[in-house]
Amino acid sequence: MGGAALNTHPTLVGAAAATLLLAHAGAAGAQGYHLRLDTRVQSVAYRGVAIDSIPVADTLQAPGRGPTTPDGFAVVCPPNGTYCTFFRPGPERSAQPFTATADVTVWGIGVPGLSVHGLGRVGWDLSGSDLWPGTDPAVQLLQGYAEYAARRGTARLGRQVVTSRFGTTGFDGAGIVLREPRRGLDLRGYLGWGLARGAALPVTSPATNPLADFQPRSRQIVAGAGLGWRSSSVDARLDYERQVDRRTKGFVSERVGVQAAVRPLVGVSLTGGADYDMAAGWWGSAEAALAYSHRVAQAQLGLRRYRPHFELWTIWGAFSPVPYHAWDAALALRAHRRVTVRARYERYAFDNAEASTPLFQAENDGWRWDVGGTVTAAAAWTVDGAYRVEYGPGAASRGVSGSVAYAPSRRLSVRVVGAATKRPLEYRFNEAVVRMLGVDAEFEPTSGMRVGVTASRYDEDHRRPDAAAYQWDQFRLAARVVLDLGSGADVRGLPPAIRLLPGGRADR
Amino acid sequence: MILRLFVPASVLAVALGALAPVAAQEPEAPARFDHLLHRRVFPTCVSCHAGAGEDPEQPLWPDPATCAECHNGTDVERVNWQPPAEPRPSNMKFVHDLVPLMTRETPEGEQELTCKDCHLPADGTWMAVHRATPEGCLACHGTGVEHLAEADTLCSTCHLPLHRARGLAATDVAAFPVPPSHRRPGFVSASGHGAQATGTSDPVASSCTVCHARDFCITCHVNAPETPAIQALEPDPRSRAIVVTLHAPASHAAPDFLRRHGPMVRENPGQCSTCHAQESCLVCHAPSQRVSAALPASGPGRATGARPVRRVPESHGENFSRRHGPVAATTPTTCAGCHVQPDCLTCHRPDAAAAPGFHPAGFLTTHSASAYARESSCSECHNVGSFCQQCHQTAGLVSTRALGSGYHDASRFFLAGHGQAARQSLESCTACHVERDCLQCHSALGGRHFNPHGPGFDPERLRRKNAEMCVACHGQPPPGP
Repeated sequence: MGGAALNTHPTLVGAAAATLLLAHAGAAGAQGYHLRLDTRVQSVAYRGVAIDSIPVADTLQAPGRGPTTPDGFAVVCPPNGTYCTFFRPGPERSAQPFTATADVTVWGIGVPGLSVHGLGRVGWDLSGSDLWPGTDPAVQLLQGYAEYAARRGTARLGRQVVTSRFGTTGFDGAGIVLREPRRGLDLRGYLGWGLARGAALPVTSPATNPLADFQPRSRQIVAGAGLGWRSSSVDARLDYERQVDRRTKGFVSERVGVQAAVRPLVGVSLTGGADYDMAAGWWGSAEAALAYSHRVAQAQLGLRRYRPHFELWTIWGAFSPVPYHAWDAALALRAHRRVTVRARYERYAFDNAEASTPLFQAENDGWRWDVGGTVTAAAAWTVDGAYRVEYGPGAASRGVSGSVAYAPSRRLSVRVVGAATKRPLEYRFNEAVVRMLGVDAEFEPTSGMRVGVTASRYDEDHRRPDAAAYQWDQFRLAARVVLDLGSGADVRGLPPAIRLLPGGRADR
Repeated sequence: MILRLFVPASVLAVALGALAPVAAQEPEAPARFDHLLHRRVFPTCVSCHAGAGEDPEQPLWPDPATCAECHNGTDVERVNWQPPAEPRPSNMKFVHDLVPLMTRETPEGEQELTCKDCHLPADGTWMAVHRATPEGCLACHGTGVEHLAEADTLCSTCHLPLHRARGLAATDVAAFPVPPSHRRPGFVSASGHGAQATGTSDPVASSCTVCHARDFCITCHVNAPETPAIQALEPDPRSRAIVVTLHAPASHAAPDFLRRHGPMVRENPGQCSTCHAQESCLVCHAPSQRVSAALPASGPGRATGARPVRRVPESHGENFSRRHGPVAATTPTTCAGCHVQPDCLTCHRPDAAAAPGFHPAGFLTTHSASAYARESSCSECHNVGSFCQQCHQTAGLVSTRALGSGYHDASRFFLAGHGQAARQSLESCTACHVERDCLQCHSALGGRHFNPHGPGFDPERLRRKNAEMCVACHGQPPPGP
């Protein structure tokens, strides 16, 4: 109980601090505010499988085929087992997730450079099934912090996200960036109670553990530092981050990463970076890319290494995940004022996993490529098409997609999208074929308000040579309303980034 | 007498000539008096234009009644000529009162100015009256070049500053002829019109004031309040009738301008503030107000500033959404020039009710192909537990009992040989399996005691970093060295 109280403490403190600051801002008669309300609802359906079993004695054995159930499902029977298992098509499920996201910025609250930011989301499933991911818990605070920004530095206090080579790290705490503009240097540091990867939830939240597996009992402490250097032709950055379990004092994660970008010529850039997992003692992911950008041509040649990162409160790191190495090339050409063509290719191969057996060998390399083109047929019409093929361990896919967009003005756009894809799996007999046709329309009836609807039809066919084949056809509907409210008329009609800018425009 | 008539007539003609384009735009005037037709009737100018003679108290125009003495309908048909009710609007300094004081140099010596000097052709044809032309004035006052090409200092000899030429309407101002200097390459630059405006001992060249006022400058100049030459001009909204379009200078078309413009601003913000206000920067650099701090904000007395079109940089070409990670990690401040974190979180913390954004439509069906080989890191945006496992649980894909090969039925021996697949795509495994599934076999405490440790495994380091991890399979941390 005490642990639970401790776990929720940082969140409550952060939320309370943000609320108090917002309240104070309102009471103090803030000079400016911006509020963006994004409300969406979606109706989706999905279908999976349901495990079942049958006594071995009840299975049928046809010549040249494996055992099946009397109604035609292929079964898997363990050696010397009395029951065989199989998967029936699962029930069709539907969900109507509804979310409302509020993004608020308040500035001009007495101290020049001080602003308050909040980004929160409420969501629930209108169908009551609560099956669709992302609506549990119903209220989530993605960001909520006070910021003081000056020429030489920026400080934040509250729930925030830092982005680095290690991704987006969320925490409740404090962060500071110090800048030396003349030398192009910036120094960053942050410290706080961490959030789970890929979520605005602490690792102790039940929502992050639906399968009731091992879960940390306390939130980890996140600490990080980074040093960046910028010049006209070279940028470099060094980042370090560690996460420590408060209860055991053991490391959850410890990584160091380096990044650099060099621009030797106009339009030419060489970008590269790597991270080292100091906790596991191996190199993580790395990449290098040589890119050329011009109005009529864009090309890139890259090398990439990917190894997943696992926190040490799981055992997955001890299973020695192996990295893959890849090279890729991409080219986009503006062949004509109205025509752009593009192509991309990537080939990759995993390192030796040292786990292959004569009985079963998985694919250990793969490739993917796609070609496409965009034609601006007229001032308001854009046509796009692409063909994509992918083959590798676990699954492959091949498909086409296309769209026709009509945007007669900035206030109205209509887009029709179609796609057809075939996706066979490697480890299961399942060759899904999906055909989709949809339309999306967005309209801005007044400045500061946008409404949009999306309707799609999916025809999906999970093909198998037994009764487990099933279809999953459905309509999907989505609607959205986005409102921008601001304290100044100058907020309206400006690009989104301006409307969302931290600190408002109070520093004039 | 004739000369006296000619002088005021010439002044009038000069004024009319200067405004010829204006007159051309006005409704057709009543019938004009045809001087040449009457060449045998009038021996002098001042017989009609008495005010142009030595007595300025006399009216400049004749009484229409004098016309009727001949145009009485009997001898000659009637006419309805009427003198102008008001003097024509003009920006000329000249008044006919000055004529008696004016002289000109001739081969015969200095002579008084007469009407014919300005209003008759060079051959002296009597009554072939024309409006006085600028060239007539410049014959004495000029330097021998075309009117509009004359030296700047000469303009004010004949012309009033615009703000004092109250009779001119905005349409008159809009019709001012453009001097050839204004058409020269580079005139729009500081070394062009800027140098011309400040190239005299006056705060602003008097030549500028003839056609322009402060309001005109504010059409483009954001830094108008800080520019003495502009402040030296009087305000006059009519000056905005001359429409100018702000064009980006040639330097802005350079391929690397987008990359270089930041250092250029830092080096010389004053130069940029000529045309750019803070709002110009904020079009793109919204989150970084530091960027625009060196420039003034648009407001009263300033131009609104050039508003660049916010466009995607060329670096954000095809597939940038997939490869932006390393770039963003290297130069976060560059990204922060145009983006704020809620932009990032749109995808990195996806909305449950949002239609496909980063992923293409139909990705739910095909995501396994991308997930197995991690074209991009799924866990960067999706929490394995709250997203992958929850959905797979609903779909019946998660493991719920003792492991068999039930789902992975493409090979009878998948379970026996799953190690390779697991080490290659362990993230995918964790979307359906939890640790206890694996510990059924991979545990030192029970099961089959299969050792899961593979290439790169460093037990001593992991024990040192987090011994709790070892406990899961070994029951207690392995002894240290």
